[in-house]
Amino acid sequence: MRPIIRRMARMAALSVLLGAGGTTAGWAQESQVGSITGHTDAGKKLYRRYCIGCHGPSGDGAGENAPWIDPKPRDFTLAVFKCRSTPSGALPTDEDLFNAITRGFVTTYMPQWRPLTAQNRTDLIAYIKTFSPKWRSGKPGTPIAIPAEPAPTAESILRGRQLFQRMECWKCHGPAGHGDGPSAATLTDNKDLPIRPYDFSTGTRFMCGATNQDLYRIFMTGLDGSPMPSFADQLKPAEAWDLVHFLRTLQPIETREAAIWRDWLNTHARELKPIGPGGGGR
Amino acid sequence: MVRRFLKAAAPLAMLVCAAMAPNPGGSTVAATYTAAYATYTHRIPSFARKYNLPCSACHTAWPELNAFGQAFRDNGYQMMNDRDSPIWQNPSYIPVTFRVTPNWHREGATKQPVDPTPGVPSCVSATGVGCVPRTLMQSGFDLSGMDLWTAGTIYKNISFVLLPSADANASFHFEAAFVRFDNLADNRWVNLKVGKFELDNLISEKRFLFLSGNGGVYQSYHFLPAGDANDFGLGDNQIGAELSGHSQNSYTRYGVALLSTSSGNPGLVSSNAYDTYLTFSHAIDAGKLGVERLGVYAYLGRRPTYFQTTDSGAAIPGTGTGNKPFYRVGLSGDFFFGDFELLPLVMHASDDKYLANATPSNGTLPAGAQAATWNAGFLEAHYYVSPQLVFTGRFETVRMAQQAISGTQKNLGDVDAFSGGVRWYPIMFSRAGLSWHTEISAVRMQGSVFAGSDRVWATSVFSGLDFDF
Amino acid sequence: MMLRIFAGSMLVVLVGAAGRGPFPAGTINGKVTYTGTPPKAHPIDMAKEPNCVTQHPTPVSTQDAVTGPGNSVRYVVVYIAAGDQGAPAATDTVHYDQKGCMYIPHVAAMQVHQPLAIFNDDPHSHNIHPLARINPEWNKSQPKGAPPIRTTWEQPEFIAVKCNVHPWMHGYFAVLATPHFSVTDTTGAFMLAGLPPGKYTVTAWHERFGTQSQEVTIGGAETKTVNFVLTAKPY
Ligand SMILES: [Cu+2]
Repeated sequence: MRPIIRRMARMAALSVLLGAGGTTAGWAQESQVGSITGHTDAGKKLYRRYCIGCHGPSGDGAGENAPWIDPKPRDFTLAVFKCRSTPSGALPTDEDLFNAITRGFVTTYMPQWRPLTAQNRTDLIAYIKTFSPKWRSGKPGTPIAIPAEPAPTAESILRGRQLFQRMECWKCHGPAGHGDGPSAATLTDNKDLPIRPYDFSTGTRFMCGATNQDLYRIFMTGLDGSPMPSFADQLKPAEAWDLVHFLRTLQPIETREAAIWRDWLNTHARELKPIGPGGGGR
Repeated sequence: MVRRFLKAAAPLAMLVCAAMAPNPGGSTVAATYTAAYATYTHRIPSFARKYNLPCSACHTAWPELNAFGQAFRDNGYQMMNDRDSPIWQNPSYIPVTFRVTPNWHREGATKQPVDPTPGVPSCVSATGVGCVPRTLMQSGFDLSGMDLWTAGTIYKNISFVLLPSADANASFHFEAAFVRFDNLADNRWVNLKVGKFELDNLISEKRFLFLSGNGGVYQSYHFLPAGDANDFGLGDNQIGAELSGHSQNSYTRYGVALLSTSSGNPGLVSSNAYDTYLTFSHAIDAGKLGVERLGVYAYLGRRPTYFQTTDSGAAIPGTGTGNKPFYRVGLSGDFFFGDFELLPLVMHASDDKYLANATPSNGTLPAGAQAATWNAGFLEAHYYVSPQLVFTGRFETVRMAQQAISGTQKNLGDVDAFSGGVRWYPIMFSRAGLSWHTEISAVRMQGSVFAGSDRVWATSVFSGLDFDF
Repeated sequence: MMLRIFAGSMLVVLVGAAGRGPFPAGTINGKVTYTGTPPKAHPIDMAKEPNCVTQHPTPVSTQDAVTGPGNSVRYVVVYIAAGDQGAPAATDTVHYDQKGCMYIPHVAAMQVHQPLAIFNDDPHSHNIHPLARINPEWNKSQPKGAPPIRTTWEQPEFIAVKCNVHPWMHGYFAVLATPHFSVTDTTGAFMLAGLPPGKYTVTAWHERFGTQSQEVTIGGAETKTVNFVLTAKPY
């Protein structure tokens, strides 16, 4: 990673020499979150303080603690990230990485780094991006558009339930969202390591946030590197919101959607076919 | 007479204490109230092992906590990622941490009262009668006590700490023992802790970077005027219950504690009264500088002035009465300027005239008796060369504002203290830590047993290997 | 449907044979065989996807080491690794099918930037997860009846492809810099046609048996035969 930094520094110097500083500002500003610019040198110090134990000195996720951790720490040399606002296969934005560091990853060993200053977190992003050449050859993708959320209704939850059946979410996440579908036990990530599907019945937060928008984003962008694919080509925005509304009824917490759904079930429960092979209808 | 619960102190420290006590049977000056090894600093590799984080993630330089470590502690030793309950731990995970510090040190003190001819008793050290002043010196290899930390989560949002602590002769006591309930009613502003624990001091004396005999204690946290019967120290762990809360990143936090008047001693040995400790602090994200925190604190306490007695005057534990008030109030801060950290503290303190004159409230005060008040403060600085190398320095001062008896020499008992050190952590992994700690410190006190105009110096040189696992 | 699949796999073999350009085109053909002990193909248990069980009355076998008579090896990618002289780009669409919970073909070769279309012919969902390291790694769901996923790859790379829902589904995209490539058939045969005179490095790649290269010089409209013998390991 050292040669990369050196090369970046040299190129930055070159761009100044050529008077091209204005057009290649990207080299000097190594990460940008809102008005905060992050720098790799500051980020490196912070990385060594906070991150190195798991993600390792070369960012490959093989830190001294990695053998004891499941799921394994992210390998930054691949530049493949779960939580993005950008389409599957695209690099995340700096804001996406910032949000991931801030939020941590529920059900993993990645803690929430909220107590770190915003500057610290932005510096860390600048440094993390030095681990893969993809950040030099490519640009982050364009965040997907998320239209305004329609109000949840029993009908939208029902449509979402049908999508849960038709998109075969249940094959991994299980008919009731318990993470126990027929394919759950054999799932592997992009390093062929076993990985569990999200269990909607235990978590109050999701891997990439806690809001309906976060949930929308999760299945529309996919969690790259994991078995969770993107449904962006398969779901129209209205359908995606339907699915969001249904998924919200699977959680162990009291949600708007759960209340609506409970009311509907009180009178219509017998009309439902269970989710699973050949099921899911009304 | 109030029962005294002095902790074991280094021999010289005791001598200095005695030298500073003008009244026979009176009290001590805090300068050397507690030996350094008794105030054991806290950081917990068993947490690092549990959560797979390097020490430096939670500590600026262990044992001092950084903002992330503070938030972890405030969450009841939880990362809040649904992996805190022990059911997620490898069965072989044992939440136990050892800490011990083999070291070499040298302690010196000037103007100590000794027998003019060794072996021929004539000196009464408390009064100086029959004594001559000498400078005394001790040095050699030594051992600290040992801490045996066990701490962890019992279940989600329920955690515990049990800290049996031994002195260098393996005589144990419970330095801390409490259970903590977090996020009551799903609210991070409502957490409850019950047991024996460190007060919620913004600048912790349990997790600080000083170990030497004279530097390993904040004078401000333990100072008591000469002749004072109070036994309270802000740095001492107390027994009680604490309600606390914090914002999501712990930048804003508060604590309200209700504490027994026993100064942390178990067995209901004091009175039936209670002390209160109130703390509030708020931090801001200062961009490139770091996190800047400012806090206020107020300890409102009472101590009994006499006990029921039996068997020719022996006090009966727990029957303390004639409670008289004292307080410690002030401001403290934790300011970062990149890798440079400043920790300032100011305090105003007052002990009731009965406490200050060690007089039972049903007795007669000496002429001119009044409340003792004083002001104290320190400025501590750290420079972090890296997470594995830190330089420290501290200047501390205590100034009497009002002596317990009017007309007493105004500056009697005033203290100035200086400490400086370096800690190098050649081993800092997520499973164990070793640090080489070197420190010098000096404390200057106004007044010896011989003369109020004397200045007594106590000095320490310390170099030790501080390891824990 | 079968017709398209057939055309798809033939296309791969014949891409280079179109004989573009006025030069006298040479051809390199040959066979790939193995020495040693190849792993045994074993039947795949598709019980978790009943649709696919019914589609295969006799269970299909794993395809990571498919061998034939005379120690021939199928699904070896043979391509020009060096010596290309500004050959025209391959532009026809490479088809990749998911049918009966199998990838057809098991190995699809294509040139960088060449259109790739991925079909789901099954009455249930698959997710296509190319585990690219140099190219972007993506993962997309393709439920039954969904239109083909059309894409291209920008960097040469042998990309493992898997379906997370059906853990036995494994395949490869062989993304090559050259338009001259061929995937060996059931007899282990390959053919690289339309080669202008010149000196070439011909490379054979197999997912289990590794890589081998040979130098070949094409003088004009001639056919040269080059055979590869890969070393098979039983694990
Ligand atoms: Cu599939």
